Amino acid sequence: MTHLTALAQLLDRLSATVGKYVSWLALAMVLVQFLLVLARYVFGIGIIALQESVIYSFALLFMAGAADTLRRDGHVRIDILYEKLSEKGQAAINLLGSLFLLIPVCLVILILSWPYVAGSWQIMEGSRESAGLPILFLLKSLLLVFPIAMILQGLATILRAIDVFRRREGTS
Amino acid sequence: MILAEGLATGLFAVTILSLMAGFPVAFTLAGTALFMGGLGWMLGVFDPSLLGAIPSRIFGGAMWNETLLAVPLFVFMGIMLEKSRVAEELLDSMGLLFGSLRGGLGISVFIVGALLAASTGIVGAAVVTMGLMSLPTMLKRGYDPRLAAGSVCAAGTLGQIIPPSIVLILLGEQISNAYMAAQSLKGNWSPEPVSVGDLFAGALIPGLCLVGLYILYQVIMAVFKPESSPALLREEVTGSVQSLPLMLLRSLLPPVILIIAVLGSILMGIATPTEAAAVGAVGAILLAALKSDEGSKLPVYAAGIGIPLLLLLANGTDLTRIAVDGIGPEALLAFVLIAVILAGLVIGLRRLLRRGILGEVCQSTMEMTAMVFVILIGATIFSLVFRGLGGDEMVYRLLSDLPGGRFGALLVVMIVIFVLGFFLDFVEITFVVVPIVAPVLLLMDISPIWLGIMIALNLQTSFLTPPFGFALFYLRGVAPPEITTGVIYRGVAPFVLLQLLALALLALFPALATWLPAVLNGTRY
Repeated sequence: MTHLTALAQLLDRLSATVGKYVSWLALAMVLVQFLLVLARYVFGIGIIALQESVIYSFALLFMAGAADTLRRDGHVRIDILYEKLSEKGQAAINLLGSLFLLIPVCLVILILSWPYVAGSWQIMEGSRESAGLPILFLLKSLLLVFPIAMILQGLATILRAIDVFRRREGTS
Repeated sequence: MILAEGLATGLFAVTILSLMAGFPVAFTLAGTALFMGGLGWMLGVFDPSLLGAIPSRIFGGAMWNETLLAVPLFVFMGIMLEKSRVAEELLDSMGLLFGSLRGGLGISVFIVGALLAASTGIVGAAVVTMGLMSLPTMLKRGYDPRLAAGSVCAAGTLGQIIPPSIVLILLGEQISNAYMAAQSLKGNWSPEPVSVGDLFAGALIPGLCLVGLYILYQVIMAVFKPESSPALLREEVTGSVQSLPLMLLRSLLPPVILIIAVLGSILMGIATPTEAAAVGAVGAILLAALKSDEGSKLPVYAAGIGIPLLLLLANGTDLTRIAVDGIGPEALLAFVLIAVILAGLVIGLRRLLRRGILGEVCQSTMEMTAMVFVILIGATIFSLVFRGLGGDEMVYRLLSDLPGGRFGALLVVMIVIFVLGFFLDFVEITFVVVPIVAPVLLLMDISPIWLGIMIALNLQTSFLTPPFGFALFYLRGVAPPEITTGVIYRGVAPFVLLQLLALALLALFPALATWLPAVLNGTRY
């Protein structure tokens, strides 16, 4: 095992661990929303903070779960040509795509979101509702977490692609 | 101006080409848009400060989106329901019911497809289940392989058009935004909003018409080409006839109750799609727990009966004043019922957790949600650049200059979506194409619900069109080897024609889509 694959594995494990914990938020959403339904339809109570917690779970679910989804190749591809390519061809697509599409896009999101999130932290932005959760700045910070996590997982994809090329050269 | 529009056109072309390379769609959309935007900036025709809206668009459009909150809940419900094996039991009992008729197996596939569509709406699951269960039986009985493969694919895609479906939620959101934009351009600042519930109501009759067309086709085939769809022999109809009613009841009751509770409450305007989906997901958890064959079923049944009882009780008595009036017998009963429901739910969840089902469902829900919403993020960036280059004005001019006015514009948009559907899937078309074309069409006084259902029917067709129809892929993955890709392609051809027929009918009779929402919700468009 080279240093490259070791690093790729480390990055994969990071995404996988985050994904494993974050995925349980899907169940949390179901249960909390169900309790809210009971509260509203039976006792006529609306609990704003709890309703907002469902939205927080939802945003976390896909913003923090996107990297693990990338690791499992769960983001839709148009694979008419891709599936016919050799292992090396697919590695080339993933290498170029991560380098010129994924990472630049995430860098743009990261750079543009920085002042947006910083502004939110400066005023410790909370919910617009007085009974809502006072931690909106934390939710908005996901705009930084998402691109960073995706760049790290993109890096893992690149390392694996390089490894494919190397192995090919080694055997031929 | 010309340079900018050249770049906008170029952006569309380059994006389609890059997508073909096969890198994940979300990043290809955003990446090519940023490169073209950069090019436009260097040439002085693109204002990069427009991109400053990206963070607030992602936050407001994806993260804090109370309409789309329903998506992961419906996905969870669908995947959990798949684990509860409702589909298998339905296929068994419907096969028994119709199997001795000529073409009966085919009809049973369509009926089960419609029931699954109204309860889960997950195309992949429906096609895979029916491909594994019905297809081998149909082939063994001597069904024409093309007819059998086509039926399974078509029945599986019903989940996209029959509510509740993910397509309709995503489309409803886009159509609603487009309608607001079009109305404010016309000077109407407080238009009546279009809701996802309106789209659900609008899709119901066209969806059922489609089921009718499919069944009609199967009947015609059975009458005029009997060798294409023979009946089961009597001795092959397994199980004794006495047990049939019981079997029917057992297999039909759970999905029918879920359909009435979830779809019914949304259509009647009692619950929002998010609330209904949460109740449906809990129902699916209980059903899956029943199938886990572990321990006593009593607490799970009790919870399942407790939920409707509690809601009935709440409906019949006023429990909202317990803080003032103190706890009376009704309130006590309500608390007991809640305790029973929560106990059954916890016991059910523990069983699913032990068998690893719960973790799988959560993982799949996360993946599907991330897939959809990361495309939404990519499409948001794409749309910002496309607009910045004047692409939307170009589309507006193009569509309004077409001969034939409204009809011409609608026809062209439908053809474009149909053609794009060969290559792209519904999420990309909904997030990229609909926001560009829908405001223009809605400015021409086209009913938003009618437009939404036309697009939904068109997108559903894209699941069936080769080479990139999802349904075809799913079936290919589970079908026996004699069902080659060629057989599947030829098998779905008549069903694609039926889809186009349904689209034509809907185009001629908009009331098919607009009548039910008007009756249920009093919409006036």
